[in-house]
Amino acid sequence: MSLKREKQTYMLFMLSQKTHDIILMKMDIEKVFQMKGGIGENSYSKNSSLQKRAADKVKHIITAAMEQMYVEKRPNSIGIADLGCSTGPNTLSNIKQLVHTVLLHPHPDPEPEFRVFLNDLPTNDFNTLFQSLPDFYTQLNKHRIYISAYPGSFYGRLFPDHCLHFIYSSNCLHWLSKVPAGIYDEQGFSINKKSIYISERSTQEVSLAYLKQFQHDFSLFLKSRSQELVCGGRMVLILLGRTGSHHADRGNSVFWEIMYRSLSTMVDEGEIDEEKLESYEVHFYAPSKEELEDEVRKEGSFKLDVLEMFENENENDIDADMSYGTAVAKTVRSIQESMLANHFGDSILDKLFQHYATLLDQELAAANDHINSITTVLVLTKL
Amino acid sequence: MEVTQILHMNKGEGETSYAKNCTVQREIITLANSIMEEAVAESVQNTLPQSMGIADLGCSSGPNTLMAVSKIIDTVCKTSSGIVGSTLPELRVSLNDLPGNDFNEVFMSFPGFYETLRKEKGNGPEGGFVSGIPGSFYGRLFARNSMHFVHSSSTLHWLSQVPPSLDMNKGKIYISKTSPPCVVKAYVSQFEKDFFLFLRSRAHEMVAGGRMLLSFMGHISPEASTEVGSHQWELLAQLLLGLIEEDRIDSFNAPYYAPSPQEVRNVIVEEGSFSINHVEAFEVNWDEGSSACSDSACDKCDFEHEKLSRGQRVAITIRAVVESMVESHFGREILDELFRRYGELVDDYFSKTVAKHINLVVSVTRNSE
Repeated sequence: MSLKREKQTYMLFMLSQKTHDIILMKMDIEKVFQMKGGIGENSYSKNSSLQKRAADKVKHIITAAMEQMYVEKRPNSIGIADLGCSTGPNTLSNIKQLVHTVLLHPHPDPEPEFRVFLNDLPTNDFNTLFQSLPDFYTQLNKHRIYISAYPGSFYGRLFPDHCLHFIYSSNCLHWLSKVPAGIYDEQGFSINKKSIYISERSTQEVSLAYLKQFQHDFSLFLKSRSQELVCGGRMVLILLGRTGSHHADRGNSVFWEIMYRSLSTMVDEGEIDEEKLESYEVHFYAPSKEELEDEVRKEGSFKLDVLEMFENENENDIDADMSYGTAVAKTVRSIQESMLANHFGDSILDKLFQHYATLLDQELAAANDHINSITTVLVLTKL
Repeated sequence: MEVTQILHMNKGEGETSYAKNCTVQREIITLANSIMEEAVAESVQNTLPQSMGIADLGCSSGPNTLMAVSKIIDTVCKTSSGIVGSTLPELRVSLNDLPGNDFNEVFMSFPGFYETLRKEKGNGPEGGFVSGIPGSFYGRLFARNSMHFVHSSSTLHWLSQVPPSLDMNKGKIYISKTSPPCVVKAYVSQFEKDFFLFLRSRAHEMVAGGRMLLSFMGHISPEASTEVGSHQWELLAQLLLGLIEEDRIDSFNAPYYAPSPQEVRNVIVEEGSFSINHVEAFEVNWDEGSSACSDSACDKCDFEHEKLSRGQRVAITIRAVVESMVESHFGREILDELFRRYGELVDDYFSKTVAKHINLVVSVTRNSE
């Protein structure tokens, strides 16, 4: 009865200089990776306005896709899924928007019911998300909305057969199911020297390994969703991407470079062992337009209606007292804290993100142009 | 008291958590096993679903949460394999509780649950999907005609709210021998309203021929104020009087009612969507399941429990359930002292009586429209 998915473990070997012991460390993504829970200062809930801004930019695309589906299918029981729902306010406001899109459209009496499927990894802080539900139900109490949470990895099946009409996933699909196996040599050491992601210093072997992992993951994602969507169902995917074929361009890779430099600084300061840094790799991939199109075409269950890419402008209106670097550092921390703490321990986090903020501000000043991440939005129709 | 916002079992796995103190509730699930098996088998035979909706309402968190649904899935598999020409249906399992429930804890156990089921049942990889449903079951939770078997244990004695107009219930927190008739009436009325809404909601959600098995506290003697069914509240009220000003106690009443079998039957008949298969009453010891244990190697008992008296163990069990409400009304400071004294009172009660609850097991079938 379990989902057919691959176990996401990978081994990290660390050779201690003093004892020459090989210490085996496993990071099982599904047991470790999570956005920072709760509603505190460093939580994802309180630091996800950049993600909201990106989603707001594509609101018209999401609304149009939902409307098109409704006009074509006219279901009286509508299944909507949010994959990677996380903890915060973005999730429920998205659902409201989708429900209103349908209800504002001429519809029969009685009005359709909405079956809402929220998904994230089992480690997600669902309790915090659910705290907002009583108010949400009160606001929407005239409508028939049934909310369910399905914890698990979206690299594999999550939902019953053909129960969905609309799938939405925002800012998740750039996270791979695991760090690519291909970047470890036979002894288990990373071949991606002096980097934590694909950088200028990375070999082609490294970028190919990452691409292969992305291809495997994304096609499994598409295949799984194709069995859960009805024909004519729509899927809107928002994820980080890259515009050129080259990885180490401006855009997303800069942020990984800054993280690497921040960690390096901690090594220089004696706070982190160099071996620890060398063994840290991220389970991330920012695909290009061509790479996305290729997988959609190969998998064959979907028609690609829309593929747009845009820069996330660094308008710092989050907090006037805060530098851009500090604001981004807070956002990044709420996302990456779990994976960093799992590898390096909690105690380095405060200092690490201080370095991150400083280095990012310096980079921005030196670059004299914007450092903007790239977001891709896709709209697909199930054939 | 906003019940849906406040009521939840104690979270986590600490000494006073529900997870470590739910033996009685586990025994209650077990005592209904044979009735449940029969009901599940019939729901499969009646409806022959391709995709079967199974719900557990009031799932809480901790070791009991997946117990009932495991048993249900077991029975579905057995029944299915016994029907000629039938394949195992796709299983949609929904675990419901109020939004304040510790769903994080529940969800962390899903991967292990899927793994166990895959090994034991050899189901196809896409054979089953488990979800959490946060919300009150006094109202709709699921889409129309989506459920084939609904289970609920140790939950339906919790009302949607404290019955209104209970000012006359002086110095008491539930129905007691000194409560005026209007108090009893208020509780019965709230129960009738809530249970009717519960049944009406499930009626929309269940297919014809689907079965429902409900297990909750009740009373069998003619009086609702009978000791068996209310004494645990009586003791709590007594202790609160010793710790808190009386007028603060007057403003606190339990959102709870343990009905009689006849009261249950009346509402089922009135609502009209279900036929009654069974309404049975079982006696359950206050410390069912834990009193007999003296085996130091037993892995069911938390080691700490062995050092506690029977009364103290019962006190922690009650604390795990009512703490959220008591704390919200009276504050945190009194909790330790309150339940320490509660343990003493229960030990004293045990020395005079064999203390029992009455647990009702209700089995119904959804009628055709």
